[in-house]
Amino acid sequence: MKKKLLGVLMTSALALTACSSSSDGGDEVAAGASSCAPASGGPVTLTFTSWIPKIEEVVKVWNDAHPEIQVKVQTGPNGNGGTYQNFFNQLKAGNAPDLGQIEYDALPSFRVQDGLTNLAACKPVTDAKDRFIDWTWNQVSFGEKDAVYGVPQDSGPMALFYRKDLFEKAGIPVPATWEEYAAAAVKVRAAGGYITNFSQSDINQFAGLAWQAGGRWFSNDGTKWTVNLQDEATTKVANYWQDLIAKKLVSAVPPWTTEWDSAYNKGQAWTWVSAVWGANSISSGAPDTSGKWAVAPMPQWTAGGKVAGNWGGSSTAVFKGSKHPYEAAQFAIWLNTSQEALTLLNEKANLYPATKDGATLPALGKGVDFYGGQKIYDVFAAAATQVTPDFTWGPTMTSTYASASDGFKAAVSGSGTLLDALKKAQTTTIDNLKSQSIPVAE
Amino acid sequence: MTSRKPILFFVLPFGLLFAAFYLAPIGYAIKQSLYKVTRTGTFGPAHEVFGGLEQYQRVFQNGPFWESVGRVLLFGVVQVPVMLGLALLLALLLDSGLVRGKRFFRLAFFVPYAIPGVVAAIMWGFLYSPNLSPFTAVTSNWNLLSADLVLWAMANVVTWVYVGYNMLIIYSALLAIPQEVYEAATIDGAGPWRTAWSIKIPLVMPAIVLTTVFSIIGTLQLLAEPQVFRTFSSAVSSTYTPNLTVYSTSSIPNFNLAAAFSVVLALATFVLSFTFLKFTSRGGDK
Amino acid sequence: MGIMGICTFYFLVPIWWLFVGATKSRGDFSGTAPLWFADFHLGQNLSELFAYRDGVFLRWMANSVLYTGGAALLGTLLAAMCGYALAKYRFPGRELIFNLVLGGVLVPATALALPLFLIFSELEATNTFWSVFLPSLVNPFGVYLARIYATASVPEELLEAARLDGSGEVRTFFKISTRLMFPALVTIFLFHFVAVWNNFLLPLIMLGNERLFPVTLGLYTWNGQVNQLPELRMLVLTGALVSIVPLVVAFLLLQRFWRSGLGAGSVK
Repeated sequence: MKKKLLGVLMTSALALTACSSSSDGGDEVAAGASSCAPASGGPVTLTFTSWIPKIEEVVKVWNDAHPEIQVKVQTGPNGNGGTYQNFFNQLKAGNAPDLGQIEYDALPSFRVQDGLTNLAACKPVTDAKDRFIDWTWNQVSFGEKDAVYGVPQDSGPMALFYRKDLFEKAGIPVPATWEEYAAAAVKVRAAGGYITNFSQSDINQFAGLAWQAGGRWFSNDGTKWTVNLQDEATTKVANYWQDLIAKKLVSAVPPWTTEWDSAYNKGQAWTWVSAVWGANSISSGAPDTSGKWAVAPMPQWTAGGKVAGNWGGSSTAVFKGSKHPYEAAQFAIWLNTSQEALTLLNEKANLYPATKDGATLPALGKGVDFYGGQKIYDVFAAAATQVTPDFTWGPTMTSTYASASDGFKAAVSGSGTLLDALKKAQTTTIDNLKSQSIPVAE
Repeated sequence: MTSRKPILFFVLPFGLLFAAFYLAPIGYAIKQSLYKVTRTGTFGPAHEVFGGLEQYQRVFQNGPFWESVGRVLLFGVVQVPVMLGLALLLALLLDSGLVRGKRFFRLAFFVPYAIPGVVAAIMWGFLYSPNLSPFTAVTSNWNLLSADLVLWAMANVVTWVYVGYNMLIIYSALLAIPQEVYEAATIDGAGPWRTAWSIKIPLVMPAIVLTTVFSIIGTLQLLAEPQVFRTFSSAVSSTYTPNLTVYSTSSIPNFNLAAAFSVVLALATFVLSFTFLKFTSRGGDK
Repeated sequence: MGIMGICTFYFLVPIWWLFVGATKSRGDFSGTAPLWFADFHLGQNLSELFAYRDGVFLRWMANSVLYTGGAALLGTLLAAMCGYALAKYRFPGRELIFNLVLGGVLVPATALALPLFLIFSELEATNTFWSVFLPSLVNPFGVYLARIYATASVPEELLEAARLDGSGEVRTFFKISTRLMFPALVTIFLFHFVAVWNNFLLPLIMLGNERLFPVTLGLYTWNGQVNQLPELRMLVLTGALVSIVPLVVAFLLLQRFWRSGLGAGSVK
């Protein structure tokens, strides 16, 4: 009897283990453009996961107009806050949604996991190619021919937010180059403020700065990855900020905290080199400073230069396993190119379109009261065209960010330098690639 | 001997669920940890192949993981005695007859236990924030969310939630001590403190042992608090505690390595607590 | 007495703060004294909370009650039956089962959540109510406690007497033993309830559909979005307050049993 009872327990355990392990690894399809044909007959229901605020209202507009392609939207925390984990889990389990929001820097991770449908055979997508700003298209095509792993949704061209009133009062000219910016930092400090708050934990901002300077962190020649977090341009940027940190000219309040909001609200930090969506972060985080801000182009490394960085931006991707890539692609294109969707996304969630004519949305042509009536989006529209197109993200950005940010935090509190942090992040990244058997050059 | 049928009836429902939702996943995790993926080219498809102990080798070479193990051990060594000491003190005070309004205090101390870890962490996250906190005298002098202090800020959250619970376990044990024991002590002329020290504490030792075991397990499983605190403090890295390491490894996603991490962690917890339990329950349980 | 006063302050002030905070408007929350009322805004906060995204918060509350209440009730019964059998019957494999169960007490939740997800996905059952509910039923610690309690509170003589009366084992269990074990069962129930209520990794990994979230996971996701959507801050606070009310009430009501049950277990 003892044997029997145990037998029952054990067999049921083993049976579950066995059946759960039988099918993994077997169903991979070779990479390359999948076929993309309209569904034959009957209405189609698509699932779409996104964390864009109020995305439901935008999707409703589509559903009302397209009874034959209904989209069911699910919302969740932002990508690294849990949604990516969900996607990976669902991909592994073969029950991912048809569509999902994926930031540009996470696309390579999903492609490495063979989680994305190549939309290069989808006519609605290829037809729309020319409507997108070139560099955003590069982000979803990885610079390859016949590869489209998502539809660009929004972008984060960077510029300089600054306290116009304080700069005028202190008689400091608005910096146009990084050299002038460092000089201004000294004067701002003398006036009792900090020129900015250095983002110690959100490495994305630093990535945007390095991007502008010409840094190229990852490259891949098809057979292996090359990781270079300390190339010449990035080293230059790291040393520049290290110098400001060492001289205590920048504050280092952790970003995205109420403290950080309050540093801006109370006028302790005078500028922020940030992306277009930062306009909303300031206005909601520092409501008392309404009307006192203005936006100028990002400071340049060479006087008279016109180069911008990018911080953030998402794509709408179609996951592997979607039974309706054609319809999914149709929806993604509508969501990210149609005037009505872009207008709604901008109104509801402050998304800045990735399309060339997105800059002509009525809302983006208006003066913004918070910025003293300045038509700030003109600055970003110009910046969007000045982002260099060939920045590539690696396939394990989460761990690269995590490692770099640990080092950045240490550097800010006085142990080690930003460059040390990048060096460590480089080692960690290579280790990580190896641990997933992703080929990498040493 | 009774017939087998009722025994099966009693044991089988739980046994089957236990096999399906405890044993099977453990087996699955062990299997996963013995595999690795191989790829061809930068975006080539992955294939799972048997990798032997390769993942375990990675686990043992992983600096951040062992740092996180050290961190929770430090946390446990400090937080568990503080929490249980406070719980014991409060239980003794409630039991001592020196305090009026026992019922109120018992409830007041116990209420935080009703608050789920995630919600408690969110609350305290606000309370620590220099701009929103009512305790500005503290938060303006010390940044409780900084790298140096955030571990203890979390220790406070855990303490706040669990003191009342542990107190109640110990207090219940105190109530169960027969009155005659005290009468004898009073005749001997022992004061309340002496009674507490030499009679009550030894008698409630089993309760203290029980609460210690749970606190140890709870500490090693620390997840919800650091996970929530990541939104409040940049000092909490994605590998801050062993469980966070497991979670973030699986979100890379590197399921094989994550499985190896959890197997090592589970095994360590198991061995530690099992030894402890066997050791302390010897004789008492039979 | 001084110690008691300080401790009361320590335990209750955060809850008081939460209550006061939930009665304020967003502007007042950061602009007025944190521990005293400003304009009373609780009604508006509540109606905003209940209306947000088609009342998803109420849905979360209902889910939590189902996940935790349901799993704890059923789980307690299963654990009690198993623990009772382990205590009262000699049968081969008893020690092995008990040791396996004891080992189960000591396995970290993350170790199970991920493989559980993969197993459920093979059965195409992730992102369902059952994927969180079924694993939550298993409470090895409950079995451990039930065995101790059963040994302590159900005398062998009574069972023998019942057998002589011709009562079946199952009947005896439900009619007699569960009554004797009742305070202990309440304790197991509460332990189980709190464990499920606190387990947030499993729903986090298992569920993609927010309409299935328990309230803890829901509040966690809102809290993670506060930077994008600052208006969520007041909803998180108000939601936190609302979410703890039922549990506090339940604890106060069950207090009597809870205490006596704990005493039975720990002295042993």
